[in-house]
Amino acid sequence: MILDRTRPLFIRLLLLVVLVLVPPVAWIAHQATGEFSRGLIPEMDKKAEAIGRDLEQSIERAVGYGIPLDQLQGMDQFFAPVLAANPEIRYLAVTDRAGKVLFIEGAERSVLEAVYGGADFAAGTEHSRKLALGGFIDLAQPLAIKGARIGHIHVGMDQDYVGGRLQEILVDLAVVTLGALLVAVEILLFVVTFNITGPMRVVGTVMERVRRGDFSCSAGVTSDDEVGRFVHGFNGAIRLADQLFRRLEAYIDEVKAAHFDAGVVEKVKDIESRVRFLFRFARNGRPEIVNEHQATDIRLPLFLFVFAEEISRSFMPLYIRDLYAPIPGLTPELAMGLPIALFMLVIALASPSASLLANRLGARRVFLIGLVPATIGFVMSALAVTIYDLIAWRAATALGYAFITMACQGYIAQVSQQQTRTQGLGVYVGAVLTASVCGTGIGGVLAERVGFRVTFLVAGALTVITAVLIWRLLDSTQPQAEGPSPRKRDFLRLLRNWRFSALVAFAAIPAKMALTGFLFFLVPLTLSQNPSLDLGDVARMMMAYPVSVVLLSPLVARFADRVGWRVGLVAAGGLLGGAGLVLPAFWDEPVLAVQAAILLLGVSHGLSASPQLAMIPDLCWTECRAIGQTNVLAFLRLAERIGSFAGPLLAAALIPLYGHQGAIVALGWLVLGMAAVFALLSFAYHAGPHIETEWGE
Amino acid sequence: MRRLVTLILAACALALSGPAGAAEPGAKPFRIYMALWRGWEDAAQGFKDYFANQGIPVELIIRDAGQDKAKLKDFVAEAKALKVDLVFTWGTTVSEEMLGRFDSADPARHITDIPAVFAVVSQPVGGVVPSLSSSERNITGTLYLVPMETQVNLIQSYRPVKRLGMVYNPLERNSQVAAEQLDGIGKATGFEVVALPVDVAEGKPKPASIALKVAEIKAARVDFLYIPPDTFLNINRDILTQAALDHAIPTFAAAENPVVTSKAMFGGVYRYYTVGQLTAYKAEQILVRKIAPKDIPIDAPKRLSVLINMPVVRQIGLFPPMKLMGLAEIIDRTEAKENKP
Repeated sequence: MILDRTRPLFIRLLLLVVLVLVPPVAWIAHQATGEFSRGLIPEMDKKAEAIGRDLEQSIERAVGYGIPLDQLQGMDQFFAPVLAANPEIRYLAVTDRAGKVLFIEGAERSVLEAVYGGADFAAGTEHSRKLALGGFIDLAQPLAIKGARIGHIHVGMDQDYVGGRLQEILVDLAVVTLGALLVAVEILLFVVTFNITGPMRVVGTVMERVRRGDFSCSAGVTSDDEVGRFVHGFNGAIRLADQLFRRLEAYIDEVKAAHFDAGVVEKVKDIESRVRFLFRFARNGRPEIVNEHQATDIRLPLFLFVFAEEISRSFMPLYIRDLYAPIPGLTPELAMGLPIALFMLVIALASPSASLLANRLGARRVFLIGLVPATIGFVMSALAVTIYDLIAWRAATALGYAFITMACQGYIAQVSQQQTRTQGLGVYVGAVLTASVCGTGIGGVLAERVGFRVTFLVAGALTVITAVLIWRLLDSTQPQAEGPSPRKRDFLRLLRNWRFSALVAFAAIPAKMALTGFLFFLVPLTLSQNPSLDLGDVARMMMAYPVSVVLLSPLVARFADRVGWRVGLVAAGGLLGGAGLVLPAFWDEPVLAVQAAILLLGVSHGLSASPQLAMIPDLCWTECRAIGQTNVLAFLRLAERIGSFAGPLLAAALIPLYGHQGAIVALGWLVLGMAAVFALLSFAYHAGPHIETEWGE
Repeated sequence: MRRLVTLILAACALALSGPAGAAEPGAKPFRIYMALWRGWEDAAQGFKDYFANQGIPVELIIRDAGQDKAKLKDFVAEAKALKVDLVFTWGTTVSEEMLGRFDSADPARHITDIPAVFAVVSQPVGGVVPSLSSSERNITGTLYLVPMETQVNLIQSYRPVKRLGMVYNPLERNSQVAAEQLDGIGKATGFEVVALPVDVAEGKPKPASIALKVAEIKAARVDFLYIPPDTFLNINRDILTQAALDHAIPTFAAAENPVVTSKAMFGGVYRYYTVGQLTAYKAEQILVRKIAPKDIPIDAPKRLSVLINMPVVRQIGLFPPMKLMGLAEIIDRTEAKENKP
């Protein structure tokens, strides 16, 4: 099962973009960090000096009121907030004229006593001075009352701080570069497929028909570039053959009408019928225009839209927390889980009708219709006042999301024949996952630099760009009337297939529960409690999920195709994901444990996602035959959204009971338990009659 | 003369208000009847200055009872006769006598139809109003006492206290309430309260007994002496604070006078001037914004003033923590003289 036909092209373009973009970015980054560190050190000095002066004034004021320097009170509480607000400052100290340490906060007294006590220091200066002290830079400023020096205030800066800051900026830069790379590749891929490979495929189709003697068509490419000119010439050649035939036909008609020799007429008629048998020409002289749609046409718009949605991934719960207002009858945590849960619910409820609509109105129109609520949702989310209207705007976005994803799936289904449908679905999954990687990472960096609200506006702008792309570039496909949609009873029959029900209940639902409850909801909330992590860090940690799914999915798909051990992969994936969530209970490093859990969840879904889908034809082949494989898959998607909806609410309900960390673990036990049930059931999967019958055919 | 000042003030305000005044031809200044208890002081000044600063034309009719309860009846009659727009009452006695208690206001004896604002009332709840959220009648006002919890926190932030002393006048309800509250907080947070009433003779508290009580407090080895917002102790503040200073007992005052004009070491108060301004703001809401007084909650200024009396601190040698120093208004009269020759 090849997931994505454009994959080889994608990888080649990615390599190209990496070669072109990464060296200059790296060079600029290198230069910039040099500048930055040169610029940062004097800035830090200035800041330390300003802080020192501030403290100096307060102390001098107190001493000026007659409090002896060594009897200043509450110096620890006086220094503590300054240290807390300035991470680059490691300690603050006051020494007397002899260099004796009177007060110190943030470092060991004895360490500094030795240095200050030196004769050199006691000699005293009337100006501030800097000295290196192991890992610290000590800035000493004199304290004076009426011109008489009474001691020094010391501000100790952390030398590692600059390095840490630089590293942070470099990591941010790397994330943005990665995002930019992927965006560039998506755009290149679009340009190449839209302008070159697409037209070439059309030419190929026409050529194939010509090879079979069919001159009735011409390639519908109208661009005014090399490709367009080539296609124009190619079409000209076909037209010429077509005209030549018409002239021949006219001549034959003339001969048939004018010749008296019946034998000749017979011969000519024979030739005519031979020609007509071997070749086909346009009936009325007007050629049939061949236009070929392909799944990749919709890839860039889909990518941009999902990008826009994923931008808020790393901070959505935090934004909700900012807007929190009590909702009667709900605990604060549940209220905070509500926008995410309802988002999922609206998608689930709107998807079936969106899918029907996409079949009826065509993908292009439904995509454009969906962009309206989505854009409004993003822009108004940026302007939201309370949690109430945020819920409304998120619901609008969810409605758009349902329309757009269904439109894309419908488009792909229409343009790809049955055989290439899996490949087409690969295009879909590829675009969604790449967008997820970019959106999560870039969204985190953006939100950290410009704030939540502006980031939402960026998402709104992206959807507008998407709309323009769709409007200008995508031809409307002919809406195809699909077979009558299956009735509810058919779906109930599907649920009676215990293998399918078990897959839904114990594999698909817990997987989604872990995704929305843990990754979308608990991770941002839990990590934001750690003051050493900023939004960018949280987003980077969350990126581990889509990155591992992206990397693992195609490999697993190939592996599963070869080995055929799909149930096992799904079971193993589920257990791994659940085990990851339980990890924080056994690991003292909470941040590392959460990171590992995110990574394992990615591995888990990478392992189980494509085998889960690939299992369906084997698992319920009778149902697939009765209601169509597409419908069975759609039903699976719909059913697993129960998990998407329940995830945030469940997680929210667990927070008051066990705390944030504990809620992750509790959710983990639940997911692990369900995965274990599936693993046990999976042993029975092969024993049933279904698969044997399938293989018997 | 006073009349002239108010007229000039009103004229200035009119000029300042410019187009607003022009849009309302012949806008008359609001007539406010100010009933005071012991003369013109900071709260009254803050009240007056607010209108000047906001450019609201007012005509102030100022009456001072001079601590004579008998005069207040005439004030009520005069305010009614003058048909003023608003009445301002200063202090618990003036407010309760002129506005009536919340459950027994009498249109014949009290001001009921004219809207009123009160200031410097120690315990308005259960007195002039039933609750702070609404007076449920035609008055509103401001608080001037810092909540007892805040005061205790302030003392604790200076030095942790195990035993807190207090001298009070048993005839004043304010002081009794303060003693009870202090005792309650002490029991809840773990410190002991030694509250001693001054001696009473012939229905009057004896100033001579103050020093004796302070000595008793000293013998009880208290960490701090709490000075309640007590009229008797306010008048005799020099005796009280000097006695404490003689025994080197650090003192905390709930009102500004003992710190600012006497020898209490430290205090946490809402300045009278700020209280006056807040009261004027409420008057503005009634007169200009036309909000019903019962819809205006009764509250205290946002900003707490921490006062530290530096000469006393130096004499006792109990230095304030740096954080408090940064927040406090330092009172250092000797230094002020040095700085401003």
